[in-house]
Amino acid sequence: MKILVTGAGGFLGKAIVERLLAHGQLDLRCVLRDTSKARALEEIAARYPGAKLDFVAANLRNPAEIGSAVTGCEMVIHAAAALKGSPAEMFLDSVVASRNLLEAVVNEVRPIRVVLVSSFGVMGVAELQRGAMVDESTPLERHPEQRDVYSHSKLRQEQLFWEYRDKYGFELVVLRPGVIYGPGGGHFSNRVGLSLFGRFLHLGGNNLLPLTYVDNCAEAIVVAALYEGSTGQIYNVVDDDLVTSRQYLAMYKDKVKPVRSVPVPYFALMWGSRMVERYSERSRGQLPAIFTPYKTRAMWGGNQFSNAKLKSIGWRPLVSTREGLERAFAAFRAEPEKAK
Amino acid sequence: MTDLRKLRIGIVGCGKIADGHAEVVKHLVGAELVAVCDREPLLAEQLAVRYGVPAWYGDVGEMLARERLDVVHITTPPAVHLALTRQCVAAGAHVFLEKPLALTAPESRQLIDAVVAGGRQMSINYWPNFDPPAMEFKQMMARGVLGDPVHVEAFIGYDLAGAYGQALMSDAGHWVHRLPGKLFQNMMDHIFNRIIPLFPDVEAEVHAFAYKRREAVRGDATDAMLDELRVFLRAGDVSAYGSLCSHARPVANTLKVYGTKATAELDFNNRTVVTTASQKYPSAVGRLAPPFQMAGRYLSAAKRNVGQFRRHEFHFFAGMSRLLEEFYASIRGGTAPPISYAEILRVADVMDRVIEQVYPTPVAESAR
Repeated sequence: MKILVTGAGGFLGKAIVERLLAHGQLDLRCVLRDTSKARALEEIAARYPGAKLDFVAANLRNPAEIGSAVTGCEMVIHAAAALKGSPAEMFLDSVVASRNLLEAVVNEVRPIRVVLVSSFGVMGVAELQRGAMVDESTPLERHPEQRDVYSHSKLRQEQLFWEYRDKYGFELVVLRPGVIYGPGGGHFSNRVGLSLFGRFLHLGGNNLLPLTYVDNCAEAIVVAALYEGSTGQIYNVVDDDLVTSRQYLAMYKDKVKPVRSVPVPYFALMWGSRMVERYSERSRGQLPAIFTPYKTRAMWGGNQFSNAKLKSIGWRPLVSTREGLERAFAAFRAEPEKAK
Repeated sequence: MTDLRKLRIGIVGCGKIADGHAEVVKHLVGAELVAVCDREPLLAEQLAVRYGVPAWYGDVGEMLARERLDVVHITTPPAVHLALTRQCVAAGAHVFLEKPLALTAPESRQLIDAVVAGGRQMSINYWPNFDPPAMEFKQMMARGVLGDPVHVEAFIGYDLAGAYGQALMSDAGHWVHRLPGKLFQNMMDHIFNRIIPLFPDVEAEVHAFAYKRREAVRGDATDAMLDELRVFLRAGDVSAYGSLCSHARPVANTLKVYGTKATAELDFNNRTVVTTASQKYPSAVGRLAPPFQMAGRYLSAAKRNVGQFRRHEFHFFAGMSRLLEEFYASIRGGTAPPISYAEILRVADVMDRVIEQVYPTPVAESAR
C-alpha cells in the first residue's frame, strides 16, 4: 500500500515515517515543503531494507502542487500544520492547505483512507470543571475565537475533514495528540508556563501534562491508521504515567539548566487574567489580552486524561514517560532551545 | 453637522495586515466593520470569526451588492488594487488602500482618477505619519521651529527574520517577489511619504542603488531579492537620503530633518521627537551642557508617552486610528481627505524612478 505523509519532514512527521516502516509499510511518499529535510528521512529509511521512499516538494497552499502527489496513494496521513506565524498564515497552512489536500483526495478515482493528526486544542475544555476527565467524548470548542489561534485553526481543520467525510464518504480516522515532546521538540509547552519579562512564569502548578513522546504519538497514528475498525473514530493520544507541570519543571531544572521561575497559583492567575482582560477592553487593546479567564481555564485549569480508547485498538507506548523525559532532557541539554 | 449613522466598513483581502485594520476599525466610534471578503473564503471566515464580523464573502461583487458599504478597505496585494477600486467605486463605496497603491505610478494615477470620476474619496495607509510623534513633528514644522528644511534623512529597517520577513523569505511564490520592485516596493512608501511633504513641488532628482547583503541559500526567487536600498534625492533646494536597511540592528524607523533653524529627529519605533541641542556656551563648559539638554528632551518625550499610555492612546496602530478618523470625517463632511492625492502620486513617481534604477529589467507584466 502506498501511503502519503504530509509534513513528513517535521518533528512528528519523521517519527510517523519511521513507525510506518517499522510496521512494514515500506512504500511511502513524503510531502515536504523544504526538500533539504529529505536527507534525514533517507537516513531513517536506510535502516529498513526494502523501504521505498519518494519525495514530493509541494506547498500545500498551492492546489496545483498536490494533485499529482495524491495520485496512486491508498492512504493519506496528514501531519502538516502551522505552529506559528500570523493568524492568516496559520489558517493558510492548516486549514486552506487541508482543504486543498481534501479536494485532491476526493478527486481521485480510487478511494483513499485519510488519517488526520488533529490536536487536543480542538476540545472545549474551558467549559469543563477543573480536574474533569478529557476523552474522546469531550465536546468540540464552542468559542474558538476566545482561544489561541493555533487551537482555532486546528478546530477548523478537523471540522473540515468531517465535513468532507460526510459529503464524500471516504474513510477518516482522527487522532488528537496532547503535548508532543522529545528530542528536537520544544522545551516547554505553554501548559507549563510562559517566559515573560525575563522570568519563567510557572502556571501549570500540579496539573497533569497530557504528554506524548514523539515516537509514542507516531506509533498511535500508525496503529490507528492501519487498524480497520478505527474508521470514523477519534483517538486522544497521551502516554501513561503522566507527570505534573511542577514535576516537569523540577526535572528540567535538574537535568537541563537552571530556570528562574516564579510559580503563579491558579487563583492568582485567574485574578490576573480578569485584570488583563478588563484592562485590554478598557484601553481598546492597548495591551493584548494574552491572558483571559477563558484562555486560562482552557490552558491551566487542569484535567485528567484517558488513553483507554487508543489502547483498545492495540496501541502501547514504546517509551515510558520516565525514559522519554530522560531522552528529551538529554537532547535539550546538548542543544539549546531555538528562539520562538 | 455630524452624521451620527455609523459608516459601514468592509475589508477585502484577509491576509496579515487585515488584522490591523479590523483591530483599529473595531474600536473606532462612528464606524462598524460589517463584512470581510477574500477570494479564499476560509481566510475571510477566520477573520470574521475572530473579530465578530457578521458577514464574510468569497466574492467582492457579492459583498458590495449585499452590504451597501460606505468604505472598503482594500488590503490585497497591489496588483489587484486598481480593479478592486473600480469595482468598489462603481458600487458607491469610498476606498482605503494598503500601500503600495498600485504596481506603477501610471496605474496609481488611473486608480485616483477612477475614484475622483466616481465622486468618491480614497486614502492610503500611511499610518506612521499619523502616529502621535509624527503629528507632533508636523506641528513643530508648522510653527517654524526648524525653519526651512535643508536636508532630510528617512530610514526604515526591515527584519527578514521577522513575522512579515519570514513569510516572504520562506515562499518563493509570495506576491512580494512578483512586484517590479520586490521588497523595496512593498516598503518604500514609508521612506518617500516622509520626504515628499518636505520637498518643494518640483520634480525630484532621484539616484538609487541597491544590493543584496545576505548570502544566497535557496536557489529560487527569494535569492533574487535585493535587501539594501539607498536613495539620494533633491528637489529645489532640499536634499534627502532614503534608506531601507535589512541588516542593521536595531530595526530602526526614523526621520531626521536638518532645518535652517534647528534639526529634529523623529523615532517612530520609540515614539520620540526631539530637536538636537547645540552648544550655547563657550569652551569646555559649553560642551558639557548639550548631552544634559538632550537627556531632558528625551525625558519630556518619555513623559508625553506615559501620558498617552495612561489615556489609552499608545496603541501600535495609533497612527492608523488617527488617519482613519480623519479619512472617515472627510467622507462625512465632503472635505479634503487627510493625504492629498498629489502627494500620493509624487510618492508613486519617486518609487517608479527607484525601481527603474535598481531593477532595470521591466518585469511589471509578470506581476499580474
